[in-house]
Amino acid sequence: MTSAADLTDPAALQTAFRAQGYVAGEALATALRLVPALQKPLLLEGPAGVGKTEAAKTLASALGTRLIRLQCYEGLDAQAALYEWNYARQLLYLRSAEISGGRVDDAELYGERFLMARPLLQAIQQDVAPVLLIDEIDRADDAFEAFLLELLAEWQITVPELGTITARTRPHTILTSNRSRELSDALRRRCLYHWVEYPTARQELEIVQARLPGIDAVLARQVTDAVHALRQLPLGKPPGVAETLDWAAALLTLHRDHLDAASIEATLGAVLKLREDQLLAAPTLRGVAGRAEAG
Amino acid sequence: MTGSIPAELSAQITAFVARLRTRHGFLVGAGEASDALRAAAVVDVLSKRQLRDALRAVLIARPEQARIFDHEFNTFFRAEDRPTPPELPPLLPETDAPGTEQETETAPSKPQEGEEQAPASTPPGPGEEPELTTVQAQPQGEAKEDPDDLGDDFQTLQTRLSPNAGVGGEVRSENGELRELLRAAAALIRAVELGRSRRLKSLARGPKLDARRTLRAAARTAGDPALLRWLGRPRRAPHFLLVLDGSRSMGRDATLLLRFAQALSLRTRRVEVYVFSTGLRRLTPYLRQAHPGQALALPDLGEAWGGGTRIGENLLQLARQERERVTRDTVVIILSDGLDTGEPAVLERALRDLKARAGRMVWLSPLAALPGYQPVQRAIQAALPHLDALLPAGGLEDLHHLGRRLKQRN
Repeated sequence: MTSAADLTDPAALQTAFRAQGYVAGEALATALRLVPALQKPLLLEGPAGVGKTEAAKTLASALGTRLIRLQCYEGLDAQAALYEWNYARQLLYLRSAEISGGRVDDAELYGERFLMARPLLQAIQQDVAPVLLIDEIDRADDAFEAFLLELLAEWQITVPELGTITARTRPHTILTSNRSRELSDALRRRCLYHWVEYPTARQELEIVQARLPGIDAVLARQVTDAVHALRQLPLGKPPGVAETLDWAAALLTLHRDHLDAASIEATLGAVLKLREDQLLAAPTLRGVAGRAEAG
Repeated sequence: MTGSIPAELSAQITAFVARLRTRHGFLVGAGEASDALRAAAVVDVLSKRQLRDALRAVLIARPEQARIFDHEFNTFFRAEDRPTPPELPPLLPETDAPGTEQETETAPSKPQEGEEQAPASTPPGPGEEPELTTVQAQPQGEAKEDPDDLGDDFQTLQTRLSPNAGVGGEVRSENGELRELLRAAAALIRAVELGRSRRLKSLARGPKLDARRTLRAAARTAGDPALLRWLGRPRRAPHFLLVLDGSRSMGRDATLLLRFAQALSLRTRRVEVYVFSTGLRRLTPYLRQAHPGQALALPDLGEAWGGGTRIGENLLQLARQERERVTRDTVVIILSDGLDTGEPAVLERALRDLKARAGRMVWLSPLAALPGYQPVQRAIQAALPHLDALLPAGGLEDLHHLGRRLKQRN
């Protein structure tokens, strides 16, 4: 397990990531190194499936710290992200106090025993800085984004009944966005920024070989080349790295050691998830199969 | 490697931050300059690549800024024996006062292109003219004679948008018009009803118990939840995707609709605006940064303005480009006369894609405002099954009624 201190070495983070099967480019590695150094959140944007979420998970592993994930969705509010009271237990407590003739004051009713910490509160209560992943922030609505601004700036939250809780340690925060909604300038200004592009063919080949160590070298190269050819097409849902890995794994399961028309047809659903895309890509894939069989 | 950085480099970084701010409008100030210095102290400043990656992570906030950043970085931190790269134009070119664009540097170099513009663009297909005869007179002829519509050699569209340079004799007060358009935009935003949000809010009645407030009330009645409070779902706020046909056949209607798009952008941030002719162009950043008190000035829109019409191909490209952003909260508004030379099947596919994801699909047509209009154009025929409404957009009056007409169809 790597300690955070090791990551001040430029090559160390890339090495640590590679050990986890994540091939990070230099620019991404530099941006990730700045997160603990500047104690600022990092906003990762890019197409779906390029490994934004995976980067946060790998950072947690590389730092040897806990990953706390907040998955954003439409309608997410501060309560679901921060804390909630255990209302059922509170009501039972009130009733039992009433039956036994006791009195319950607010401090008792709203004590920490009834507090249920949600991801953001958990993140600021850790003794060792965790990696806080705020995933797909673009799916949350404007109101939640505005709420987040205060937390990211001050690293403290106010629970009306308990007072202000300040972070013990500042979490290493990664936000991801697929750009389904334009984020506010205010949020962007509070973050470091990095656009995650699809990996190069060579990087993707390294990823496939790192994740699927048993894969035939020819098959791995053919799969990554084919995926890169597919990404040049105007597809509705271009394949991400996860699709490349799924495709390679599917071919491995079928005991294939090279691509041909039959194996492509049998496993196409692992890489292209829309019928229109499969039809659009048919000529390209025929070319890929032809080249693979010829050479 | 880490720690303090040389004073000379500090000064350079600070100047570099100021240049990005003043020349390219990056939102970077003293805080970002300080972060940039701290970032430089973390990396190996002798490695130009590491320094560039670190400063880029701190100073850019959007992918489109990366190209400008890299160019400026290479200019600023180049080795002394390397030649200076050519200057990069600012993101938004400064615009001259109305009527002065012919004096700009590019004007003398392309005067003949203005004349050649019509043949250079897609020639009208065989379907276009016959379609015109199926409707009553419309300002097509005027538009074709308008010299402004022939030239793409202007740096801005300012003269096109100026009421004094318009095709007809009508002159309107631009400020007054903007006020009217803002009113129409506000009415449209109010009128759109897309259903309920997923976010729960304290309301007088709703589908879910508000446990927090109920418990508060119960604490006053010895734990007896006598007064129940409720959480409900408020109305969903609409997001607009405006697609404006900027082809020559739209004539001056296009400029009015463009100003309507600007008014809508001023009323809500949840607007994306595209314009197309033979090509497609995103206008949102320009409209967002336009000064409401001044005439709208846009850079040369190239293939996206003043040429032929390819509705289907452009909408298909848009449907792919905006795929992630078009949700059930999106009202797609297409502003076009529907005079298309392309294949209706392509348009149909684009609209089917958009309709599958969007909350509402509305087509506004200047032709639909003409008395006796029949939606017989091939494009409109192909579009109709996918539309929630085909509404007229012949002038300010129609835009005013837009909200009400949409509401009636809710």
